[in-house]
Amino acid sequence: MHKHLSSRSALLDENAALHAQLDEAAETLRAIRSGEVDALVVQSSRGPQIYTLQGQDAETNRFRGEMLAQVSDAIIAVDGDERITYLNAAAERLYGFDGPRALGRTLTTIFKSRWLHPQDEAAARTALQERGEWRGENVHVRHDGHELNVESSITVLRGIDGLPTGQLAVIRDVTERKQNEDRVLVSEIRYRRLFEAAHDGVLVLDAGTHRIIDANPFMTQMLGYPRDQLIGKELFEIGLLRDDAASQEMFRNLERAEQVRYESLPLESPGGRHQTVEVVANLYEENGRPVIQCNIRDITERRRSEEHVKLLMAEVNHRAKNLLAVVQAVAYQTAKHGDPATFADRLSERIGGLAAGQDLLVKSEWKGVEVCELVEAQLAHFKELIGRRVVLDGPPAQLTPQAAQGIGMALHELATNAVKYGALSNGEGRVRIVWKIIADSTPAFSISWLEDGGPKVAAPGRKGFGQIVIGRMAEAAVQGVAAITYGESGLSWNLSAPLEDTLTVIQVAA
Amino acid sequence: MVAAAAHAATRYVLRLYVTGSTPHSTRAISNIRKICEEHLDGRYDLEVIDISQYPSLAKGEQIIAAPTLIRKLPLPLRRFIGDMSQTQRILLGLDLRKAESSSAKLP
Repeated sequence: MHKHLSSRSALLDENAALHAQLDEAAETLRAIRSGEVDALVVQSSRGPQIYTLQGQDAETNRFRGEMLAQVSDAIIAVDGDERITYLNAAAERLYGFDGPRALGRTLTTIFKSRWLHPQDEAAARTALQERGEWRGENVHVRHDGHELNVESSITVLRGIDGLPTGQLAVIRDVTERKQNEDRVLVSEIRYRRLFEAAHDGVLVLDAGTHRIIDANPFMTQMLGYPRDQLIGKELFEIGLLRDDAASQEMFRNLERAEQVRYESLPLESPGGRHQTVEVVANLYEENGRPVIQCNIRDITERRRSEEHVKLLMAEVNHRAKNLLAVVQAVAYQTAKHGDPATFADRLSERIGGLAAGQDLLVKSEWKGVEVCELVEAQLAHFKELIGRRVVLDGPPAQLTPQAAQGIGMALHELATNAVKYGALSNGEGRVRIVWKIIADSTPAFSISWLEDGGPKVAAPGRKGFGQIVIGRMAEAAVQGVAAITYGESGLSWNLSAPLEDTLTVIQVAA
Repeated sequence: MVAAAAHAATRYVLRLYVTGSTPHSTRAISNIRKICEEHLDGRYDLEVIDISQYPSLAKGEQIIAAPTLIRKLPLPLRRFIGDMSQTQRILLGLDLRKAESSSAKLP
């Protein structure tokens, strides 16, 4: 009984399976008849052969498929619900999704779009609606978060009734190009700023024609040409390397060594202004085109300053020699009188006086010394008496270095003498130091040392070095005349000299 | 409902054979993906095979037309032909919905 039931059950199962197969066969036939299939597969000795039912044979289809697979741009087709109906091998690689996993899924499964500008998305939709196509750039964010800069061309697909059935996108990965463009942009901004803001003139020349193709703002400022007038000119036309032979040599050297440097070249701007410039020229290539970059630095001021320093050094040397000669004479004359101890003191004082005058000259860069400052420096030991027993009276007047040296030494001798024997040797005596400019047919400068209230003085019996300093030496320094009077009230000294030998030119003009 | 509940944990393995981007094939891909997302969320594996690119893959499953969907699991193996637009028939065939009438025949 059990066996009988078992065989009955097996028969029923077999029957059901046969029914199912029959149903499948019927369904297949129905689907073919009602046109729900695209292709039929026929098993042959060469394997399955596929025949499409739309006039295209399988070989054509396969050929098309292979072509699309070879295209390096990603190609994706979607239906009206944005479900992926096709993607080629490049799209599989670009988005990291293989076809079987991606097909039928919505597009956002494999990437999401990020627009470069807020208005781009609406513009793309409008273009697709109105023109049926859109081309543009945006960012595709893959499912793994990786961002791709892409350039897309999207076309609306339509059925035979003309109604939209989906979209076809051809997508090119431009991430690397974008990154390069960004790098180039950053570089352009950075180096353009250097070029524009440089405080050296920069010219770019065509190496073939030697004509200017670019110039920075500082160059136009240096030359006084607007930029557009510089373009197309040769160097000699802007006042640089006017000598043809020298110009040719520079270009020859550039071709050979790719760099030349001229430490000092004359540059004459159109207004006739002469400048001295340093030129460094480099030969290089811009996208295969040889160009020359010339950096031009105006060194006129630097050269002037160097010349000035050179002149000053020569002057210092000359003056140092003069001063040493004076010191030698002072030492010699001082040694003639008195014992060695007195000699040392007197020599030290006199050199001190010379040094005070020297300090003032250095302070004024050897241009000259104000009389008032010279007097105060030489009377530094009696500073507290100035304004009380020592009165200074005279207009602003700047002595030449030589006059300052001669008058300074004389003032030092007069002050030493006044302290020892004259008006400053007691408690009441006074000294007036008066100077003036005499505006005459031959303008003159006059300075006087007038003592009053000191002990009675008499002319010394012999002419010591002090006498020589306030007399002959002072006269020689200013080409003037010195007069000394030994009066009842004290010593009077006056030195008069032509203005041009005494005061600086500036002072005369003032 | 009872049948649907019984299958709630069953994993479906489906294979769709298509021929490139022909109209029925593209529709079949979208339609079956939609059905799976709505009714088999997270418990299906769908493999789409383009027999125009790989004709040899049509041999093993005895494919005679495309598009063809094969339910490999759960057994028994089931076969559906067409663009998968008849959602109710597909759902019934996949045992995801009870037949409304006993006379309904499904592949």
